Amino acid sequence: MSQTDIVEDRGPGVETPGHALTETPEELAYELRAQEGSIWTGTRLLMGVAIFTYASLAFAYFYLRSSDSFALWRPAGITAPTAYGAAIMALMIAAAGLAVLSTRRLKSNQAVDFQVAGWTTVFCGLIALGLQILELTHLPFFPGSNGYSSCFIGWAAINIGTIVGSLYWSETLLARFLRLRRAFAEEGGASSSPLPAARLFRANADGCAAFWCFVAVSEIFFWLLFYVI
Amino acid sequence: MAIDISAETARPSEPTEPSSPVVGRTPPPPFRAGGRPAFLEQSILTAGIGAVVGYLFGHWVGNMIAAGYPYISGFSGQNDDAIVLGLAFGAFGWLLGVGALNYPLAKIVGREPAPEVESANWTKYLRFTTDHKVVGIQYFFGVFTFFFTGGLLAMAIRTELLYPTNHLIGPGTYIAIVGEHGTIMMMMASSLVVGPLGNYLVPLMIGSRRTAFPRVEASSFWLFTAGYLVIICALPLGGFPTGWTGYAPLQTQGAGGMDAYLVGFAVIGLGMILAGFNLIVTIIHYRAPGMSWSRLPIFVWSILATSALLTLATPTLVAAGLFGILDRTAQTAFFVTERGGSAFLWENLFWFFGHPEVYIMALPGFGIVSELLPVFCRKPLFGYRVAAAGMFGVALLSFFVWQHHLFQSGINPDMRPLFMLTTELISIPTGFIYLVTLGTLWKARMRFDVPMLFCLGMLFNFLIGGVTGVFLSDVPVDVTVHGSFFVMAHFHYTIMGGLVFAMFAGIYYWTPKVTGRMLNQKWGKIHFWTMFIFFNMTFFPLFIVGLLGQPRRVFEYASNLQVWNDFSSVSAFCLGASFLIFVGNFLWTIIIDPHPAPDNPWDSLGLEWQTATPVPYYNFDRIPVITNDPYHYSEPDAAPVADLTPVPPRVAPTP
Repeated sequence: MSQTDIVEDRGPGVETPGHALTETPEELAYELRAQEGSIWTGTRLLMGVAIFTYASLAFAYFYLRSSDSFALWRPAGITAPTAYGAAIMALMIAAAGLAVLSTRRLKSNQAVDFQVAGWTTVFCGLIALGLQILELTHLPFFPGSNGYSSCFIGWAAINIGTIVGSLYWSETLLARFLRLRRAFAEEGGASSSPLPAARLFRANADGCAAFWCFVAVSEIFFWLLFYVI
Repeated sequence: MAIDISAETARPSEPTEPSSPVVGRTPPPPFRAGGRPAFLEQSILTAGIGAVVGYLFGHWVGNMIAAGYPYISGFSGQNDDAIVLGLAFGAFGWLLGVGALNYPLAKIVGREPAPEVESANWTKYLRFTTDHKVVGIQYFFGVFTFFFTGGLLAMAIRTELLYPTNHLIGPGTYIAIVGEHGTIMMMMASSLVVGPLGNYLVPLMIGSRRTAFPRVEASSFWLFTAGYLVIICALPLGGFPTGWTGYAPLQTQGAGGMDAYLVGFAVIGLGMILAGFNLIVTIIHYRAPGMSWSRLPIFVWSILATSALLTLATPTLVAAGLFGILDRTAQTAFFVTERGGSAFLWENLFWFFGHPEVYIMALPGFGIVSELLPVFCRKPLFGYRVAAAGMFGVALLSFFVWQHHLFQSGINPDMRPLFMLTTELISIPTGFIYLVTLGTLWKARMRFDVPMLFCLGMLFNFLIGGVTGVFLSDVPVDVTVHGSFFVMAHFHYTIMGGLVFAMFAGIYYWTPKVTGRMLNQKWGKIHFWTMFIFFNMTFFPLFIVGLLGQPRRVFEYASNLQVWNDFSSVSAFCLGASFLIFVGNFLWTIIIDPHPAPDNPWDSLGLEWQTATPVPYYNFDRIPVITNDPYHYSEPDAAPVADLTPVPPRVAPTP
């Protein structure tokens, strides 16, 4: 598909089926607005899905903690490696901050800054992902030795999935930007280009940054649960 | 410029020339322009190959991981790592093979979606496609594959129960069949309406040309089918001893089939989340101009409420499934009490999903009935706003009642009155919805066509299911009949008597729209009466045997209950046969000897009936402007529901 095709297409998620369809400018604008709104709402719904997933884990944590079956919620001295936990949390907060920064740079039409901040976000996320996996190989407890350790393994599994998902979103956004950057530049840059693809790209970048912030908040919450209290 | 959605009714007094269509789409090359034979296209065939290869790969990886183990530490005595990884990679291979992951993978290098070519060939129903109408039809055949599989298992259960102590199958096989039947039916029922009718009809009913996330929508279907295959694998893997609820500690001790249960539920759960997610966004953002919230068809309201439950409640099921899988593979102890976990944790997590699940199944049924009654009563829907509010009231309250499933175990007894209260509270919005349907029937001159008969059958059945549900919400009654056939009869009355009857009403009603062909009405009435009579003959006696003490999931019972059980079993066989009448009717009148249907055989005002049949690829030539709600049946002079060729398109400055 050529770059011209990409620009003429109405953005991600829109098919170009075989039926020739003619659309009025009003219809195109209407559908474009619907797509932008869909990205916004979709992002918030995705957070809702994630919240209920995290809430299940938090429920398990507090349920097992209060049950303390066989006094095996958390025997004395059992804690996940704190250095790993702090590093992962710090990296995720940094990644979220960079994601927000990259979006702001995009809005101020600083394409290079956007890309640098974006790729740094990906880099931070990758390091956090690697550390999260590595941490699992350095646990001072057996996964099923107590309630705390079980919840920790569950958290690690969910966290890995969340980080991978966030990384995928950021990476695909940046890859798309690389493909479209010239088209955007010809139309005034990504921040102001009236191209449908540019408008959807901006909406997507906003959604991605918002999701990273949400992930960072959840990292802090579970860091407190597993490493502090 | 943008179309002003807020403008609802006013038409310009002097029509002006329409904006000229300026944007055209170049037709892509003809189907299979490269000359690639059909069997090389990505389809269900390549999906099957992907699933087999994926399963073998995953199983091999699992065995490699377990190769270093000195012994198998799980309760099942099998290598659960290999089974879980095999099933998970099998599901992944299924998606990869059908092409569901083509775009997500291409996106990593910034590529755009490949143009989808419309095909008139029936093989499109076997492929990954983003046309919501095709996905709806795929779902239709998918859910009925589930339904008939679960139905055959039900026949096996009733056959075994013909005799109190003489057995055709052993206790282990019996409970495996019961569990498989329950799980398949619950998975099916979650998507029974949302999948086929929600995906097909919602865009048409709101005046949209598409759904918000077509690939997400299509992926939900292929995850649904992957989940079916996974859960079917449970039987050859030894089944699972827990019934559909999967309670620990049996869950932890179950054979390899338990892995299939957990993976299957997680896979289907992901599909349910995606389906609900897509429909919510579509309804919010893709309503045609003038389709205000107060004009939204009541069926769409029900789908919206259901989708909210699907999207928010199902993650708990997926998370609980993950914890169960970790218990059986990574040897965590979420549900192992003696190692710091708790078997009751599963009960809580499962029912936090499981009770909203009940309304995931009930609400769309009421949506169909509420949508159809005005058509066949020829009068407006009574209490439209009350019905919509009732649906959301039910959806909201359903998150606060889950502990009534734990009245017998796993709850502080002091908390039981609270959850008894919340459970009884939910009968209030449910009652609103029910009264809306009765209000619509009040003094109506009804047309007793087949869809109407199924609607009335649903109302009758649900009344019995609902009233017994109110009984069950009371702690003393619940404690008395817990785990008995009484509970089983109750939920069959609500789900099969409610949802399945409503679904058939919808099928008979919308088949002319979907296929352009008419199901035979005479055979439809025979189908209804046999199904209605034998349904009640099958399940009503189960209230009695339940009250007399027959426990569910047990293959033996007291000999004095044989008469009732035999009555129920024979009725169940006849009930099963009644579905064959439907299958025969469907095959004959839709495929073998098709009868063209009129454009609007029921004289419906619904927007979906205003577009052409068969529905064009883009649904509407122009985005319609909605000018009225679809329930003005008693007002001959009412404005039409929509202007399908708005001149000029309603415009307003972009905010």
